[in-house]
This record gives sequence, C-alpha cells and structure tokens, in this order.
Amino acid sequence: MHLVRQIRQLNGLQGLRHALRQVSTAPTKPATLKYERDPQPLFTDAETQKLLQSMTQLHLDRVFRKRTVPDNSSEIKFMTTEQLELEFQSMVEKAQHMLQMPPVVKIKEDVDRIIAKDPALKDFADTKFVFTDITFGRRQSERKVVVRETDGTLAYASLDTTKRMNQLYFPLDGRQSYTPRMFALEELIAKCLTEHKYEYVMDRLLVQYEPHEPEFHNISARVFEHLNESKQFDLLRSTRHFGPMAFFYAWHRCIDDLLYDMIRRDYLQNAVELIALSYKIHNVPVEYQETLAKLDALHPTPAQSALTELRSGMRQPEGQQGIEQEIHSAIGKTEKDFTADEISLQFIEQYIASEHALKKVQLELAVQTLKEVNQEKLQLFQGLKKAHGIQAS
Amino acid sequence: MLQRYVRILCQARSSSNWNYSQILSVKQNAGIQYLLCFRNTSFFNKLPAEDIWRGVTAVSNAGKKRGRGKGSGKKVAKDLNKGQSLGMGRNSRVWPGLNSPVLRGYELVHSQKMTDSHDKVNGIIKLRDSMSNFRIMKLNPIDRGWSGSKMPGRSIGPPDSVGEEEFSSFDTRVLENKIVFIMKGNMGRKRRYSVLSVTGNGNGLAGFATAKAPEVRTALRKSKNRAGQKLININLCENRTIYHDFYTAFGKTKIYCFQKPDGYGLICHRAIQTICKVIGIKDLYAKIEGSTNVQHIVKAFFIGIMQQRSYKNIANETNLYVVQKQKAKNGYAEVKGMPYLPTTNPYSAAVADYMHFTLGNKIVLKEKKIFPFYFNSKGHQLYQTKEERFRNQAFVRLHDLVNSYF
Repeated sequence: MHLVRQIRQLNGLQGLRHALRQVSTAPTKPATLKYERDPQPLFTDAETQKLLQSMTQLHLDRVFRKRTVPDNSSEIKFMTTEQLELEFQSMVEKAQHMLQMPPVVKIKEDVDRIIAKDPALKDFADTKFVFTDITFGRRQSERKVVVRETDGTLAYASLDTTKRMNQLYFPLDGRQSYTPRMFALEELIAKCLTEHKYEYVMDRLLVQYEPHEPEFHNISARVFEHLNESKQFDLLRSTRHFGPMAFFYAWHRCIDDLLYDMIRRDYLQNAVELIALSYKIHNVPVEYQETLAKLDALHPTPAQSALTELRSGMRQPEGQQGIEQEIHSAIGKTEKDFTADEISLQFIEQYIASEHALKKVQLELAVQTLKEVNQEKLQLFQGLKKAHGIQAS
Repeated sequence: MLQRYVRILCQARSSSNWNYSQILSVKQNAGIQYLLCFRNTSFFNKLPAEDIWRGVTAVSNAGKKRGRGKGSGKKVAKDLNKGQSLGMGRNSRVWPGLNSPVLRGYELVHSQKMTDSHDKVNGIIKLRDSMSNFRIMKLNPIDRGWSGSKMPGRSIGPPDSVGEEEFSSFDTRVLENKIVFIMKGNMGRKRRYSVLSVTGNGNGLAGFATAKAPEVRTALRKSKNRAGQKLININLCENRTIYHDFYTAFGKTKIYCFQKPDGYGLICHRAIQTICKVIGIKDLYAKIEGSTNVQHIVKAFFIGIMQQRSYKNIANETNLYVVQKQKAKNGYAEVKGMPYLPTTNPYSAAVADYMHFTLGNKIVLKEKKIFPFYFNSKGHQLYQTKEERFRNQAFVRLHDLVNSYF
C-alpha cells in the first residue's frame, strides 16, 4: 500500500516536473542592459577592486547579522586583552572573506568541439552516451565530459550537459538540477523584486548559476535595474553584491542615482570613488588618481575603521585624548574628515559640472545641503574646541 | 440419551443446592451434550436493600475507629424504586390484572406490547445519577496538571489581593499536595493536607510557600497567599533564560542548570518546568542528580537563580573579558563583560574555562549506558548489519526529490 502511494506521489511529481519544464522554456523578462564587451579585465584590475571594496564598506553588524541556522547555540569564553585583539583581527579577516565579490565576466558561448567522427558506430544505440571524468579533487571547470552521439560522433559536451553532470556526481549544496521556480516564473521574481529582497535573489542566483551563464547576467541585470529605480542601495551595502552593482552602473553610465544616495548619506569618499571608477571604465581624460591618493591618506580603509569600532568596546587606557575624543564622538567628524570632505566636494562638483552628469539639478541640491550641514558642524566643532582650550593642530 | 437428560433435570430439581438453577439449553450434537447452568442466588436477592446499601455507604465500627469514611456524603443510598411503578419493567408490556384491567367491557384483555420509549429508561438512569452528590470531576485538557485531575501542576489563580495591592498578572501553580499526619495528645493521629505552590508574574517576580490545613481547599488558599507574600525578584537574561550555567544543591538534591539559546524550550524536571513558566524562563536545560524530592528541588532551584552573577561581576572576579560567540551570527564575538583591570597573562585565560567557572568546577555525572541484554547477541548484530543500508533512506529519498524536481 505504502509502495503504491509512493509511486503515485512520484508520478505526480513527474507531472509537475513536466509542467515546470514547459514553464522554464518561457524565460523571464530579459534585462535591457548587457555587457557588450568582456568586463572581466577591468573588473579584476587591482585598482578597480580597491575602489569597489571601499564603496562596499564593512559594517560588521551587517556582515555578521543574525541568520536562521539549524544550530543557534552560543559559546562564552574568557579572553585576555591580547586574545581579544587577535579575535577582532580574525573577525575582520573573516568579514573581508565573506565580502569577496563574485566576478563579472562575459557570457560564455557554447561551441561544438568534435573529437572524432566514427561513422562505423552509427546506430550502435538509440540514445546518446555521456562519459564523465569523476576523478576526485578535480575542479569543476577542468572536469572532462564527452558525448557519443547516435551517429557515432564523439564530441565535448555542451556547457549545459557539463554542468548537469557535475551536479549529478558532485552536487553543490543548494544548487538544484532544474530551474528553481523563483527564476523560472516571471511573477515570482517580480514579486521578490517588489518586496526588495535583492540580497536574497542575488545569493540564490550565485548558488544556482555560474557567473558566465546567460541566466546569471540576465537576472542580476534585472535586479540592478530594479534597484536603480527603487533606490534602495543601502540594502546591498556591506554585502558581496554591492561591488558588482556599482560596476554595473558605472559601465552602463547610470551612476547618478547611486551618487545622489551616497551624497545624501554623507559617504563622500565613496561618491568620489564611484566617479573615478566611471572615468576609468570610459577612459575619460580626468586626473582622478591624485584626489584618490589624498583621500586615502586622510581616511582609514573599511577594515581599519571596522577594527577601530571593535576596539572601542575594549577598556581604554585612561587619560588619553579624553575630551578630544568626546568632541569627535558628539559631532561624528574629526578635523581630517572636514579636510577630506572639502577635497571630495570639489571633485564631485567638477563631475556635476561636466557633461557626464545626467541629473545635475538633483545632485547640485544634495551637494548644497550637505555643504550647509558641514559648515554648521565645522563651526560647532571649532567652537567646542575653543571652549575646551584645545589648540588647532 | 433423553432419559439421561430428564434424570439430570430431576436431580437438579430435587437437590436443595440447585434450587434456583435453570437449564437454559441443551444441545444435542453428534453425541455430545452441553448443560448450561446459571446460579441466580447472591446476597443481592437474599438481603434487603437497606442492608446492601449499608455495605456500600457506611463504614464498619473498626473502620470508624481508624478514621475511615470521614469524607461524609461521598456516597448516598439511592432509592431505586423511585420513578418506577409496579408492572412497568424493562420490557414494556401490558399486564392484565397488574397494570391494566383484565376485562374491557365484556372482552378479555390479552397481554400485548406497548410502544417502546428509550426516554423513559434514560430518564430513570438520569434520576438515579442525580441522587448521588459525588461525581468524578471532568477537567478541561488545558487546565490539567502533571497527571489527570490531580492537583500538582494545576493553576489555582493569582493570590488574593492584600488591601489595595492586587496580584492581577500572577499565576499560582501547585507543586505538591499530600496528606501529612502528626500525633496529638488528646486526638491521636491527626491528618492534614500539605500544599507547596509557586506563584509568579512570568516576568521575573516569583515566590513559593508550603501551607498545611485540615482541608485541601484551605491548604491551597493558604499556600497561594503565603507564596504571594514571599516574592523574589529574579533578573532574566534577554528576558528568556538564565545568565549563565550554574550548579546548586539543597540536601541530597543537586541541580545543574544550563543557559540555552532562543527556541530551545524547557528540558528539565516537571517541577522546574512549572517554576520556570511562572518566573518567565523559556529556555533552560537542567539535570538533577540525587534526590528528586519536590520541596528540595524548589529550594535548590531558587537558591541557584538567586545566586547568579552578572557578566560584569564574572569579568571582575577573573580579570578576563567575557566574550560571547553566537553561531547564528557566524561566530561574531561580542564582549559581554569587561574587567576593571584586564589581565595580560594568557595562562589564566587558557586555564579558566567559562563553564567550569560558572558550575563551580562541578561536572555532570555521565552515567554508563546500559545496553539491552541482546545487544551483543549474534542475531541482533545480524539485524543491525541488514538494517544498516536502509538507515536514513527515507530522508535521503525526500532530499533527492526536493533537490531535483523543485
């Protein structure tokens, strides 16, 4: 009886699978923007990576946010100051590792690579034979899969078949053999996007597809396009998808919304970096390296600032820069920050004035507001310093 | 054969012992005879109703002296004749001369069947039931305690308000309800009920008390109100669990309590479970070693939760940072306690294990697992070998289905 029921269930599932296959043949809505050249050399460039990492930022409470896990137990430990320091460093390293960006590469084309044609083997069987090298420890990309067609041709398998065989013999956790419904049905993906579940869609996409697959390009482009309209860029900040997103906008010359968001949130250095990235990609003859170098000298890297934030939880040796620290924490900016802001604003205004900026009025307004706020803060800062008798350095 | 049957019948009739016997049926089948006899004599039809009822409702003289049957009014003699009339039995029939006239005009009235009525039978049963005043209490499943309709584990409501102070958000639960005896000079062995109950508002305020009274209800009320007078404030970690693992003991009862993550639940002795619910602790594991005397468990547990230390105190005691790493946060290290004078000696941190420190260097006894007698037998080993490849099979199949079709 039980067996019969199981068989019936299986039959039902197969029917469903059939339906799904039919559905998946009708692809989701294609994205409008595509990489027409190979973006990989520009993306993996060290300078670009540095810019993107800096733009991503590193908020540890965001990277290590509470997630649903099967075992949510916790461990309590005793630590000395040195051990805690080491722990903090390893945490920042781990965070950096978790923020590693998925590569942006061009779509890999499927090419027929025939090994041999053996007409003598024609009609040896009704079906094709797939041979897979299942040697242990070989990388997925270098695993050989060949197909013997019914007409006797021996050829390398298509990318689709290779992926399927890899998944069959060495299953990747979370990757499914058939297209997940989320990516197959237009209404489901549209629902995810309207609910602003960008990170979830991107994470799932990364598990299901390789970065060189057309589906990956299509769906990620759709997510970024939707983000550019909804302007919820902050949802991807401090995740591994922020870098590819910024790169996408810079590549397709639509950085203005992201720039506006950065200026509004007072991430001026990021704004400068975004403009610089855009100049770099499109070979605009503007000297940006100098500004970036100046800003780098004034600002700590994301990892450094994360570490300082962690260290603030430790007991500080007393009597060291007590009042100055307090003023900084009250205003939220140091003297260095004010200098850096001036340099960045100059660079940004230069960009807005140029022909590359599209939403000039909006950006100008944002810059103006920020300038006023900064002026007030600076006055307060100087007043407080004077009141406490701290010499301007 | 027929002669033999008649002889038995005659014997039965003639014998005084077989006076009330009836021979219901005699089967004659392939030479085998069956004789079914029923004795319809017992004290039910020998003694008058009064005597039989006395046997059920009253207590013998010897019993009275021992103090039995004090719960008077539990059983009362029923008048079974009530609601019945002569001639009206289970089979509704007209009995000429008994429940109907024999003659109707000039016509002789014959015995005949009347219409059946079940209501009447049910009505009689109802009437009889209503005569006794003792009924087994039917409890709503939600209101049940640890076991059936017994008191332990059951809620008895908030303590009575004292003046203007109201215990509106409180709930009291009974932990123990037992009979205790003491010897009195003039009354001899005197019986009382002892009730231990715990009351609390589910938000860190709780108290417990024992009270004795000759009546259960009085004892319950007294203990409930006394518990309300002995409230203790308990700090809860994240409003759901204890601050750290601890060891606590009272008498021969030793309890090891462990802090647990959100959603773990209460995995402990039922008395500790009830106390935790009343206090507001939601996640806890506790292991009791030694005696499971409820009074001792309650006292030990309350001592334990009152002696908890804050993270800051622990840090200052050891001069080490107390750091929590949550798996749900992917191992993010949170500093929970910061000492005034952090030690720089790595040796002390290596030696000091947090759990050993909080448990006071006590370790839970790991009992040796006792395998069933057949465990090492050849048959069982063979069975295990055969079953081995089917282990987890259902799960694997489900996983495959999920992974490939959806």
